Amino acid sequence: MGEAIVITSGKGGVGKTTTTANLGTALALQGKKVCLIDTDIGLRNLDVILGLENRIIYDLIDVLEGRCKVHQALVKDKRFDDMLYLLPAAQTADKNDVNPEQMRELVTELKKDYDFVIIDCPAGIEQGYKNAVAGADKAIVVTTPEISAVRDADRIIGLLEMEENIEPPKLIINRIRQHLMNAGEALDVNEITTHLSIDLLGIVADDESVITSSNRGEPVVMNPDNPAALGYRNIARRILGESVPLMTMDKKSQGVFSKIKAIFAK
Amino acid sequence: MKNLVNIKGTKQGLVLQLDDQCSYADLLAELQAKVSDPALDGSAEVQLQLGNRYCTEAQIKEIIALIQKNEHLRVSRVRSDVITVEESNRRIQERQSETYVGIVRSGQVVKAEGDLVVVGDVNPNGRVAAGGNIYVLGRLKGIAHAGTNGNREAVIAASWLEATHLQIDDELEIMTDELTVLSEQPEMECAYLHKNGSIIIDRLQELRFLRPEISTFKGGS
Repeated sequence: MGEAIVITSGKGGVGKTTTTANLGTALALQGKKVCLIDTDIGLRNLDVILGLENRIIYDLIDVLEGRCKVHQALVKDKRFDDMLYLLPAAQTADKNDVNPEQMRELVTELKKDYDFVIIDCPAGIEQGYKNAVAGADKAIVVTTPEISAVRDADRIIGLLEMEENIEPPKLIINRIRQHLMNAGEALDVNEITTHLSIDLLGIVADDESVITSSNRGEPVVMNPDNPAALGYRNIARRILGESVPLMTMDKKSQGVFSKIKAIFAK
Repeated sequence: MKNLVNIKGTKQGLVLQLDDQCSYADLLAELQAKVSDPALDGSAEVQLQLGNRYCTEAQIKEIIALIQKNEHLRVSRVRSDVITVEESNRRIQERQSETYVGIVRSGQVVKAEGDLVVVGDVNPNGRVAAGGNIYVLGRLKGIAHAGTNGNREAVIAASWLEATHLQIDDELEIMTDELTVLSEQPEMECAYLHKNGSIIIDRLQELRFLRPEISTFKGGS
């Protein structure tokens, strides 16, 4: 029996879908069998980021309304030999066509066959959110170092804490720009975690390659040298129970030369 | 027959003692007779004493109306030795303090009839409201409303007072940046309603002088 994790944020555009795609991929790379569910019905994106758009035949609504079996709708990602699957959202229906009870049944069904069922939640706190959290055992809240995103994260944590079947949510701070934090222009990691007072699962650097790789349909986590990829890989390892220290993001000491210089500077 | 309505004259005016054993109808009948007595001709303030009789709001109104039919009389006060169980419970609740342990997050509302103690932060857009005082053992960064039932003596105290809105009874203070600058040190502060109707923020140490009645502790060494 696997576990179901919902990825949510309240605010839109903070990187829920990107996080879902990358954590799913990272866990698959670690040898876990993963199923991703896109619950953003009507505005599906997860398939695009994973580069699986062309392979969709059936979707979530088809499954829930009995037009096909679950395994028929699941899209296999061929890059990760049988480890990563996607259940895409419908594009022609909307969020009110699904109810939490149906989602709970579906997720329970999928947990039998997969180590991880990762649910990508839509923005907002309405029906789509309620559907997404219905079957989840755990929750990850994604936020960015912006006040508006932190406010919405606070709201969503409040709602998640009222769900009886979900463990206390964990936090991912996405899109960190170290130079802004250093200059005091953006909230820093400590401020955000103290304010929200939940466990920090990991931080992810803001990196242009997240955008370019998403556009190519390859989650950034596949490139092990990328700083954002490292963030996602660390988070995946923490989900698997390893203790991985929080990475530091000092851009200055990246080159070999500057590293040597840093040693002498001591 | 026993006198159902006793009239006493005092310096403050008349005191009407109503019998609390007889039927309500008998009482009204006798009252009617007594107050329409032409001997009562000087204008006077009337104090009503109901004893151990429980009268509903409507009944009290009826009695007052009956007495004030005599245009010389005006009811200034109604006293009763009994209250309903609900009323009594409400009064107990108003005096009790309720404790909330946890963070009041954005969009959440925590309300209490009496005093409210929050062990945890109140985040922006989180709201705490109490009929009495509010004490926050943590950072108050949201909205706090004390004295919701019209208690203008209520105070708001916090380990870290950085609320966006403070309200006591119906006086609302929007904490602008200027005010935050004025208070400079948001640590260990309290807010109270000044007699001039504005909300003042002061150090927590001043509370014992501002509102000595809050302290209920007796004795000690």
